[in-house]
Amino acid sequence: MSASHPDRNRASPEDAAQHIESAEAGDESRVVEVRVAAAATQLPVMRAVAGDLAMRADFDVDTIADLRLAVDEACSSLVRLAAERSQLLGRFRTEDDRLEFTAEVTSTDPSGPRKNTFSWRVLGALTDTVASSVQESDSRDDGHVVRIELSKGRMVHE
Amino acid sequence: MTQADSEHAYRGQDYEELAPLFVEFADLDNEDRRRAELRDKLVTAHLPIAQHIARRFSNRGESQEDLIQVATLGLINAVDRFDPQRGVDFLSYAVPTIMGEVRRHFRDTGWTVRVPRRLQERHLSISSAISTLSQELGRAPVPSEIAEHLGISRDEVHQGLEAGNAYRSSSLDELLSDTDEIPLGDAIGSPDAELDEVENREAIRPLLHELGERERRIVVLRFFKSMTQTQIAEQIGISQMHVSRLLARTLSWLRERLEVEAPPEPVTDT
Repeated sequence: MSASHPDRNRASPEDAAQHIESAEAGDESRVVEVRVAAAATQLPVMRAVAGDLAMRADFDVDTIADLRLAVDEACSSLVRLAAERSQLLGRFRTEDDRLEFTAEVTSTDPSGPRKNTFSWRVLGALTDTVASSVQESDSRDDGHVVRIELSKGRMVHE
Repeated sequence: MTQADSEHAYRGQDYEELAPLFVEFADLDNEDRRRAELRDKLVTAHLPIAQHIARRFSNRGESQEDLIQVATLGLINAVDRFDPQRGVDFLSYAVPTIMGEVRRHFRDTGWTVRVPRRLQERHLSISSAISTLSQELGRAPVPSEIAEHLGISRDEVHQGLEAGNAYRSSSLDELLSDTDEIPLGDAIGSPDAELDEVENREAIRPLLHELGERERRIVVLRFFKSMTQTQIAEQIGISQMHVSRLLARTLSWLRERLEVEAPPEPVTDT
């Protein structure tokens, strides 16, 4: 079983623990986590980290710009869903040929981001893969952890 | 009032009856007291137009008061210079004049944060390197290629690319393109058909129409035609970094407007 992809439908504490473990057991130097208040004013931080990591990975300028836009769009959607005073956690993972980004907030709304929206369309166009998931929160009775995961690879040129 | 309506809101009002005053105004001598009186009256009567235009550019980093002041200045210029003999109505003359004034205002205050001259210049050289290399390579270059091309370090390229993001995202000459500046290659301008599967299209459509022609075109090409920023830059005739800024700003503006005008609906299970 692939521990790096938590079960999106059935979430148990074990799954969550396994997920964190796998992130930490891997090459930690490839993972950057950013935790900020779930507020629109904090988004430039996420955007800057995305841009910086993509630049340092020597992705082409289109990919760098798209990743910034995608991280911004994903985080904006989540901030709108976030419960008051909750946090936005962003986890960046740089692989040789791709950048993976997972963002999560705690929400009182169990429905997650809507898919047939303009925003979701934008996310799809900016990334190679994008998905969302909702899990029961461990720490809040009425809480749901809403996640958006996206990834984008460097362009392959022959 | 929807955005599409607001675009034409001031057209609907009865400014027609002011038209004879312009004829009288144009004929009066500069020293005539009646002229000053008429000028006041004409400016005051058309103030809603200036305010409306100023509002269109709010949320872009300038205070609303400043924008209204600048737009009013544009209106005064328009009243002074309008020639009723030329056969166009005042609105057709005033709107671009006021927009031009606001645009100049934004152009004069280019960078959102103070960026040292040296960085601004680096930003420009990187911007043109991207365009040169894209032509040569047939694809978007990576930072190391830009560094090599310019003979500077990768860190310097990173700084320059970052500085590009600090360039005022609301420079008006980027924001509202004049219709005559648009290269009219093909007729991609309306994303209406592309929006059919989008659930919030009824909210999105009027907003897209409110965008400048160039912004709308970039949105369509990037999100509905899957063109890369570099390809779009080439087609529109601006730099890739410019496309990137326009996209960032347009998306953020659309989000803001959607939030204001279409608050999240109550969740219903379907």
